[in-house]
Amino acid sequence: MNTFELKIWDDEAALCSFYTVLKDESNETETDKFFLKYENDIQYEEAAKELLSFVLLSIGDDHGALDALFNRYENEVTGLPVQGKIKLGELVYHYPNFPLRLYALKITENIVVLFNGGIKDGPSNQTSSLHMEWLEACQFARRILEAIYNTDILIDEENRKLTDCNGEDEIIL
Amino acid sequence: MRSKVAKRILDNTTEDVKIFVRLYADIIVRVNQLLKEKGYTQKLLAEKLDKTPSEIHKWLSNEHNFTLKSLAKLQAELGSPILYVPIIKTVPSFTCHYGKATLKVYRNVEKIHINKNEEGWNGQHSLNKIKEADAA
Repeated sequence: MNTFELKIWDDEAALCSFYTVLKDESNETETDKFFLKYENDIQYEEAAKELLSFVLLSIGDDHGALDALFNRYENEVTGLPVQGKIKLGELVYHYPNFPLRLYALKITENIVVLFNGGIKDGPSNQTSSLHMEWLEACQFARRILEAIYNTDILIDEENRKLTDCNGEDEIIL
Repeated sequence: MRSKVAKRILDNTTEDVKIFVRLYADIIVRVNQLLKEKGYTQKLLAEKLDKTPSEIHKWLSNEHNFTLKSLAKLQAELGSPILYVPIIKTVPSFTCHYGKATLKVYRNVEKIHINKNEEGWNGQHSLNKIKEADAA
């Protein structure tokens, strides 16, 4: 895997900052690539909006990165949104059938790294068309976790941010 | 800063989608909080609700529809609100010493919100109006 930059995707939400990954040779971050894929796709546009609202409003503004809002980890990453199914009166919301997965790594309840994702069209990540995105997200996450373990990345909980070992915001891995 | 892509999509997202997503997350968080607070295991909850553990597992995982009925059962057993719907009584507008005023009375919230259209609006007068409206 080539080098990549860990950079802020959103730090305007009230409770949680979101980071993403920018590959060395790429113009778009991995999370922007994910949303750009579905932004104008008639079939998945609505799901992409729900997922974005879940990330920025529910996790970002309302609750922070509580475990209750994350699915179980599949290797190093977890797929958003959390699964569930709610029926309110006549309305049924089929979250178990939610078609998209955005891979994430929770660092703390106030810092989350988002990766790319795709369409969950099989019973597992291995059998879905997003298999490659999942594998790549796991590789990114592994590198980030190793860097945190080796203190190449420092967690600044007070300011809800990550820095390199010199306290600089630019993090290249 | 916020990603321009995220900002654009969020700006184009309708309010009903945002409301649904927030409500969904609120329920998930609330049910999990209550289970933890009350020290409930799925087995214990199953016994209390006269369900099988596998049924409760379905409730609390991704295999079940939360219905209003199932939420009510959970709420009754856990003894704390899960879904909250404000009950609002609007008092007809009236004229007081400081001018025309309107009131909304929230019956089931701890804090009473009073909308006033004049500085120094007479609070006692408003309480009298609330009592009158309740009596009516």
